[in-house]
Amino acid sequence: MRRAVAINLKIPDNAAYTALVTLRRLGIDVARVERSEIVRFADAPDAVVLAAEVERDESLYNPNKHRVTVLDADVPRPGEVWIVQDDADRPVGWRLYRAPGIPVERAVLAQAAERLLCNPAIERAIYPK
Amino acid sequence: MSARIAVLVFPGTNSEDETVRLLGDCGGNAHLVHWSRAQTLASYDAYVLPGGFAYEDRIRAGAIAAHDAMMDHVIAGAQAGKLVLGVCNGAQILLEAGLVPGTAPIRRPTAAFTRNGPVPHFVCTHVHVKLTIEPARSALTAALEHGALIPAWTANGEGRLAASDEHLRELERGDHIAFVYAHEDGSIDDTASPNQSALGVAGLCNREGNVLALMPHPERDAWTFNHPDRRRGGAMLAPSGGAVFFRSFVEALSR
Repeated sequence: MRRAVAINLKIPDNAAYTALVTLRRLGIDVARVERSEIVRFADAPDAVVLAAEVERDESLYNPNKHRVTVLDADVPRPGEVWIVQDDADRPVGWRLYRAPGIPVERAVLAQAAERLLCNPAIERAIYPK
Repeated sequence: MSARIAVLVFPGTNSEDETVRLLGDCGGNAHLVHWSRAQTLASYDAYVLPGGFAYEDRIRAGAIAAHDAMMDHVIAGAQAGKLVLGVCNGAQILLEAGLVPGTAPIRRPTAAFTRNGPVPHFVCTHVHVKLTIEPARSALTAALEHGALIPAWTANGEGRLAASDEHLRELERGDHIAFVYAHEDGSIDDTASPNQSALGVAGLCNREGNVLALMPHPERDAWTFNHPDRRRGGAMLAPSGGAVFFRSFVEALSR
């Protein structure tokens, strides 16, 4: 089964905060930004086993600073856009919220990607289905 | 009074001191302008964006700085015809800001200086860049000789020009390719570029010719002691080839 995991910082993420400030400066209404490294698996075990495997891989995961979330599918979550520079790369996931726990709508996500998060000359944005 | 040049300092800029010093040695009236004093930029006549890692290259190299308040003034100045030069990270910022090549709306980039090839590693090496436009095509290069060869140091992990085939054709058609990598004898081939930059591009200018983005650092080959052949003798503080480029920039301000 195809799965993906999101690995993000459990300490404050300065890059995500800078993105938040810049998006607000652009007039995009966002309350919170989360940034993750997305690791995709073509043939993954069930979620619990996958999480344990990722947490054993020191090249991916540092328990001092990272949190692992196994995604339900190999696609971005609501309010999340994956930015990939070339297809061999791990995408960077940017998840935007308009209020605590409430992801932004697709239109806001597209605006954020087009105006800041994605340079179409070198990157591609992958949106939730 | 001579034209005032602002050398912009974003959080993470690291080449500002040598840039100011060289501009001064070339007869320019250059001043550092810190990001907290963005509102003063409107009073300057020209802008130089030096190298470094503005905003720690968060999101992408140059992406956050391109939206900084300082760039509001630089964009307005460029649109009014003021001269703007970006070197290394400054060049990346100008591309992210859409000032270069300037063929799309502002802050809608159509190209990027991105990860080096063939291996995406930091590359620090001495290079030569060759002027490929007619000198008068850009005010910044007007005092250079036709086909001028400028020595410089490249020092980046993301200096390879990348764009779609369509936009690369647009760069060629619009005469935006100001500098390409060349060998020391001025010859150009596929091995001259240290990073597989598309079309061998080292520097781009906008349509009007008042904005120029150059990836390698001529200011780091500005005095003899900076040059790889420095042991040949001569005064260590004698001007080296990179100074020629900055002299052309300063001369443009007096025209």
